[in-house]
Amino acid sequence: MEETTDRRLSREQLLKIAAAAGGATLLGGRLGTADAAHAALTAESGRLQVLDWVGYKNDMPGQAMFAAYVKAHPNNKPQFTTMTNESDALAKIHAGLKPDLFRPYVGWVKYFATSGLVQPWNPKLIPNFKHLNKFMVKAGQYNGKQYGIPDDWGFDAVLYRSDKVHPRSKSWGLIFDNRYKGRIAWFDDLEMLVTAGLYLGVPRPWRQTDEELKRSQDFLIKKKKLVRMIWAGESDLWEAFGSGDLWIAYAWPNDWVQMKKKKLKVVYMRPKEKPIAWVGMFMLLKGSPRPHLAHAYVNAWSSRSSGKWLEDNYGYGHANVLARPSSSDLLRALQLTNPRAVTEPAAHLDRDIPRRSVYARMWEQVKAS
Amino acid sequence: MSIAARASPAATRRRRLRLDLTTPMLLGLPLGWLAVFFLAPIAIVAAYSFDVYSLDPGPHGFTLTAWHDFLHSSIYLRLFWKSVKMSLIVSTIIVVLAYPVAYYLALSGTKRKYVLLLLLIAPFLTSYLLRVLAWKVILGDHGVINSFLFWTGIRSPDHPISQLLYSRFAVMLVLGYIWLPFVALPIFVSLESLDRRLLEAASDLGASRLQAFRKVTLPLSLPGVFAAFLFVFIPTLGEFVTPSLVGGTSGYMYGNQIVDLFGTGFPDWETGSVLAIFLLGVVTVLTVVFARFLQPRQVAAD
Repeated sequence: MEETTDRRLSREQLLKIAAAAGGATLLGGRLGTADAAHAALTAESGRLQVLDWVGYKNDMPGQAMFAAYVKAHPNNKPQFTTMTNESDALAKIHAGLKPDLFRPYVGWVKYFATSGLVQPWNPKLIPNFKHLNKFMVKAGQYNGKQYGIPDDWGFDAVLYRSDKVHPRSKSWGLIFDNRYKGRIAWFDDLEMLVTAGLYLGVPRPWRQTDEELKRSQDFLIKKKKLVRMIWAGESDLWEAFGSGDLWIAYAWPNDWVQMKKKKLKVVYMRPKEKPIAWVGMFMLLKGSPRPHLAHAYVNAWSSRSSGKWLEDNYGYGHANVLARPSSSDLLRALQLTNPRAVTEPAAHLDRDIPRRSVYARMWEQVKAS
Repeated sequence: MSIAARASPAATRRRRLRLDLTTPMLLGLPLGWLAVFFLAPIAIVAAYSFDVYSLDPGPHGFTLTAWHDFLHSSIYLRLFWKSVKMSLIVSTIIVVLAYPVAYYLALSGTKRKYVLLLLLIAPFLTSYLLRVLAWKVILGDHGVINSFLFWTGIRSPDHPISQLLYSRFAVMLVLGYIWLPFVALPIFVSLESLDRRLLEAASDLGASRLQAFRKVTLPLSLPGVFAAFLFVFIPTLGEFVTPSLVGGTSGYMYGNQIVDLFGTGFPDWETGSVLAIFLLGVVTVLTVVFARFLQPRQVAAD
């Protein structure tokens, strides 16, 4: 695996690694690969460029996910650019943004691995890799190479105000419920077509036929009149839901945590059609000038303490199997003791959509309708 | 005999050469700026719309597919028409509202007109985003207006007026508020430059104040009115910030679709470019049509 990664590094980086390793060997005797990597790491310069989701508030003080990295590399602190979804990240990269790493979710692993935009990681440079959930690690692979390092995980499901809303059943149907016109929020992503497919009983919602897709699209267009807002950034959702403008939302576990912090009576429902589970995957941009710093950053994110902090503060699960939240409620709600909580029979793991551009166009038409 | 006439032919040639160079030198920078930062980007966007440029790797060439799909898509054209209607309503209403304000400032003879004008444009001293977000506080279900209605007992807290925020109404209200000073200024300038002797003449000839306004003031201020209308209509037609903050699903505009196609919507730069170039074309046509109304008009006596 290490050879694979090195082969994908630039010639200049290879020479740096070789020079550092060779020089160190001459001075101090035998050095292992890790030492050579350490030497290369110190040779990398500049701030680590990270493209990450808006809702993580990475620039806020007290953010502990990468605290160990910042302590070890004070001169290479991460500099963040935000993304609202993977399409947004893709657009920014196409437009010339050059992050060292970014964080799409599991359904995009194949897309990015085959896009030529990313390179595989070298797990040997990530000491915490051995503690990561094996199922999720495998989900980050493509053609046997580790393109995605799993970090956090959670669900797409339905959040609602229990003091205002009385669901007829535990179902995705609540976000299409005529009784709550003007109180519902959807998520601005083509995944809404998958959700409609799940609700309508389409056998393979991620691989809908033209006819099925048209049915899902027509259903969303018909139901859009019930929807007050289609949120793209979590802060928009928190503000509207928190101020009482919304009662029902397509949401993530962190949204549930944030609304509970606002003392709202909220329930995070597990629909009978099953929630859609996702696993965040760190990906390394091809040609990154700071590959070793990127590995160090991901290692910090992958630690047990980072995992616990993430679970406590965001309500998401963490791929480090040793990480446990302080709250037993959260432990139960997310089934954090179940190593396969993100897949059948508990949930549908998000997956590659072969006709993603068709889905995207149809979703844009729903919004424009 | 003038000095110029006494100058030698060589000096005259030098002077003419200097003059000949002055014009291109003065125009060169702005023209170069326009070419690099306006025309070239538009050409690139147009190239994307014809798939000459593409995000997709692999061979691709000139095609009209995206244009064909757009022109045969009732969804996009309906969205465009919806945005046109919203912009027309906003522009018309605020022109009607701004005219009396500008009239008072320009023609009332008040000594404090520039102070009042400053007050009118004072909101410009704060950020655009802040001004839009402030409306969220006012229009929300538990915002200033609904709280007042709860307090007076007109509405119960369980039944706020939800249409105030995340609606088409919210978008038009906020756009009107944002662009009102842009409308008032050109009308003010056209009214202030009005030759007052024409009004005196109208009065001397027996015209009432209303007749003088209808026959003299209004026709002469129309270039300012049309300019003001354009100042609002063109930017609001492509607006996307305000709808994304206060518009919700029903206030979604054509500009939002362009932004989404370039960003969150997979991205589909080809379709996004088609929508952008179409908008640009419509705006260009409108500007050309309206330009003929921007010339000062003559006052015709009956």
